[in-house]
Amino acid sequence: MAKPNPLLIALGIPAAVLILLGVILMNRQGGKFANLPPFSPEAYRKDWATLQGNAYVFAAQVDRQLAYVEGAGRVLSVKPVDGANGTAAVPLRVPAELEVNFESGQRYRFKLRVRRDILEVEDLETF
Amino acid sequence: MRTPILALLAVLSTAISPSAYGQGTVGGQPGAAVNAGGGGDYRSTTSENMADRLFDVNSDSVDMENGSMQWKGKTFNLGNSRMMRARFERYLAAPAPAQDTARYLALLARIEALLSPAAINERTWAPNQQEAFNLLFEAAKYEQDGESSLTLASQVRKVWEQRVEFRNMGVTHNQLEDLRRKQEGVVKNRGEQMEIANDERAQQSEKKGKGGAMLKSSAGTTELGYRVKDEQKTQAEIVANQARMTALALQAQVEFQSQIVQHLLARRYRHCILACAFYRVMFKSQNQNVRVGAKEVKEFFPISDYVPTLESLDGLCREAINDVAVGMRSVDDLYRQGEVYGAFERLQETYFLGEYEPIVQGYDPAKKRIMLLLWRDLRELQRVGDERDLANVEQYLNQVVAIAKDFPAAAVRSKVEAARSASNMQLLAARQAVLQKDMPKAEAAIERAAKIWPQNPAIQDFAKQAIDRQDVLAQKIPEFDQLYADGKRRDIFNRRDEFAVALIQDQDRLPKLKEVVAKIGEIEAILMQAGSLSGSNPYLAWDLLQRAREIDANDFNLARTTADIAPLVAEYARLQGQGTRYEKEGNDAAALTAWMAALDLNPVSEICNAAVKRLAGKVAGAMAPVAPPSNDPGTLEIPEVPTR
Repeated sequence: MAKPNPLLIALGIPAAVLILLGVILMNRQGGKFANLPPFSPEAYRKDWATLQGNAYVFAAQVDRQLAYVEGAGRVLSVKPVDGANGTAAVPLRVPAELEVNFESGQRYRFKLRVRRDILEVEDLETF
Repeated sequence: MRTPILALLAVLSTAISPSAYGQGTVGGQPGAAVNAGGGGDYRSTTSENMADRLFDVNSDSVDMENGSMQWKGKTFNLGNSRMMRARFERYLAAPAPAQDTARYLALLARIEALLSPAAINERTWAPNQQEAFNLLFEAAKYEQDGESSLTLASQVRKVWEQRVEFRNMGVTHNQLEDLRRKQEGVVKNRGEQMEIANDERAQQSEKKGKGGAMLKSSAGTTELGYRVKDEQKTQAEIVANQARMTALALQAQVEFQSQIVQHLLARRYRHCILACAFYRVMFKSQNQNVRVGAKEVKEFFPISDYVPTLESLDGLCREAINDVAVGMRSVDDLYRQGEVYGAFERLQETYFLGEYEPIVQGYDPAKKRIMLLLWRDLRELQRVGDERDLANVEQYLNQVVAIAKDFPAAAVRSKVEAARSASNMQLLAARQAVLQKDMPKAEAAIERAAKIWPQNPAIQDFAKQAIDRQDVLAQKIPEFDQLYADGKRRDIFNRRDEFAVALIQDQDRLPKLKEVVAKIGEIEAILMQAGSLSGSNPYLAWDLLQRAREIDANDFNLARTTADIAPLVAEYARLQGQGTRYEKEGNDAAALTAWMAALDLNPVSEICNAAVKRLAGKVAGAMAPVAPPSNDPGTLEIPEVPTR
């Protein structure tokens, strides 16, 4: 078996490390919804109508479940993990199709869409 | 004795008797028994017992109403009742006689002793009479005597003069009798002379052969006629003189006996005894029976064949004197034991039995003064009782009891309370009848209430309320309608008492008034609670105000309190307002967000929790809309991309 080129190894290892670090950093800062703009609770409260139809990413911690309607969905009270967005809780509607077990204190990155005035969760990931 | 309390009890009994209710009668005269129409007897037992005690025919009693006194079951007429009361009051107010009563009594005893059967004989008959007669003038100088001795002395003097006159008439009678005898002898002599002359003339005629009858002579007949006439005239004068003597003797007896009976009926027993003593000495034994006033005297003795004599009159007087003495001892004994009312009653009886007795006249003026005060209070008590002035009965009753602790006040109080209750019960019935709009029944009940207690203040209040009510009805109903139509519930609440009186029978408006009072009353309670919480927990106070707004958002006091607290909870209020507005617009999620923000400020808020729960359920159940039907036309403004 041919002996690998040491130069390639020397260049490849740092490159792999850099790639790995980049992936980790990307995961930490936006995850798979990194392409979405972050959700601003303040802007929503101020004038939700201007946000209608938009999709946002919202990193938040589950506070409690406010309501559950079988077959329809549930409403969660979540608090932003980013202090810049304030600490006031925001209601998110989670449709029944998203079969996730929510527990108080769990941190998620939610992909939200503003449907009329409802913040509906379309996707999510933990972080 | 018919005392004020008896009359008072009887009046009060009358006032509350069923017959007074049923028949509307005011009742009988004071003291009259009250019989119910249904046959029951509603007389007060206490009253009856007292009446039995006081009107026992075996005891003495005084009837102030009729001005008479009962003694030994018989009645002394004491004159007009008003005069009788005045005389007794004057006696109570009078000071004790200034002169020595013992010396006066000794003087009377001396007169009686001089005329006693033991002291009278042929030798002493005249001088004793004269000395007793002279002592009468001494006795008359005393105040206690009332100059009755002078009256007796005058009567004695008159009898003496009648006796002299009688004696003179006796002399005349004897002289006339002598004259008549002489005249009779002359007539007889003349007649005999005429008969002898005629006989001689007849014998001479026979001797001459002529008829004897033709020879009779009428000479001397005329003189004989005159002599006979003189004799007859003298005889007539004798008969007339005898009649005058008989009349004079009878007149002396009658006048003296009249004096005796007059003293007895005037209750001057000692003078009556002295008059009897004089009579006994001056008149013969066959004239000792009582001719004058026998009927009156007989009434004192319940024996059908009783013959009144001087001794019976004398005995009657001595018994009365003894009764008076015993009565006065009882008075003094009761007074010393603190039973002033009992002493007063006994004094009243004793006074009218022995008004002129020295022991009565000389009773302690200080004690009489106390009884005078009691007497006046009792009279006032009776007056207010007669007038059914129950409010003042209590006052005078207290005054009487303050003087006389033995006065039976409990019976009077009981009657007063019963009368008051009866009157008030009738008023209550009248009120109920008014509520039932049964005016004839109400009028009858008021009339009965007024009869029982004419000055019942509740009657006047009731009448005033009735009048006021008519005015209120005329004015208040339109005002209420206007305020209610304008939604000025606070104004209605503030005048709820006026409207309640006016609308008490208004079946349409009364429920509205009740509703207003209940709502504003609840708001008032909330405002008080919010006011107390505004310092320590303004969010909670605000929540309370929101609850009040649900009741009546236009209430002035609520608005004022809200304005006071709003600056303290500006953000909280804004969020709640926003949430409410969004919910009304159907934007449940936006509303939920606002309410959750408010809940963050006040985690214990019931309103916020309820809103969150309510809205969360709606949002959770909401299906994702196919096309957003936003009421808001939206904005073409592209949202500013938030920066991280």
